[in-house]
Amino acid sequence: MKRYLPIIFFLVLFISLLKSLFQDEMDIPSPLIGKNMPSFSLTRLGENTTVTDQDILGEVALINVWATWCVGCKEEHQLLLSLAEEPSIKLPIIGINWKDQDQLAIQWLDELGNPYQEILSDPIGNTAIDFGVYGAPESFLIDRDGFIRYKHIGPLTLPIWINEIQPLIEELKQ
Amino acid sequence: MKYLITIIFLFLTSNSLISADERPTTDQQEMYQSIIQEVRCLVCQNQSIAESNADLAKDLRAQILDQVIAGKTKYEIKNYLLDRYGDFVLYQPVFSEKTLFLWISPIILLILIVGWYRKISN
Repeated sequence: MKRYLPIIFFLVLFISLLKSLFQDEMDIPSPLIGKNMPSFSLTRLGENTTVTDQDILGEVALINVWATWCVGCKEEHQLLLSLAEEPSIKLPIIGINWKDQDQLAIQWLDELGNPYQEILSDPIGNTAIDFGVYGAPESFLIDRDGFIRYKHIGPLTLPIWINEIQPLIEELKQ
Repeated sequence: MKYLITIIFLFLTSNSLISADERPTTDQQEMYQSIIQEVRCLVCQNQSIAESNADLAKDLRAQILDQVIAGKTKYEIKNYLLDRYGDFVLYQPVFSEKTLFLWISPIILLILIVGWYRKISN
């Protein structure tokens, strides 16, 4: 037994290092999952009216942090549009336009289509910090009571929607 | 000369525009500097927010400075960051269930080495 000890030690070290080699560094678990979404009060894009976190309670919703300067946001835009247009998917998508110019954002949506039920503008980025955002796009699934149930960093894709988000929504809607 | 006086005048008046309580004291400045060196920039993960030019790093620096000036403690500010970005945001790992092994492993290693040393010297 004693003879094998160095070999066992080596294997444990080897496997744990090998594992971290393939770990996705960008995937940092959010401490906000399972917690109430941060409170906010933001103006609607291009308007003077405000929306608070209380206004979007009552329904399972997707909060999507995006900007016109963000390449990944263009990538996921088509998927967001199809989610918004599909009548069987009743999921309000709330956009938070992060550190952007209102004019550019409005133009962007005019050209590419608008999947958002509400678009809030966060030019300074304080609400994004409260949500723990560090790179757009980021998406949060919020349950009826305003708890964050899921977070995805980076562009949403169809496999992520089918395998992760859709089952979770069905579970939350029950 | 006239220009110089104008420049000095502008400098003095612009300085006085910042009210006294908005300016950090030397202690606060030191605290601010020490905090930003301990906070990881999540956009460019091998830099602290003190070193990084990323937009988010600038925003976080501004947030931290505001809170330092508002009189928050280092502990409160670190908790503010931990609540939003998780353990990974601080370079020094916090002591928790997840990091227990990390913290006690040097002690375990020391005990093993002492035991081994005593055995071979016998």
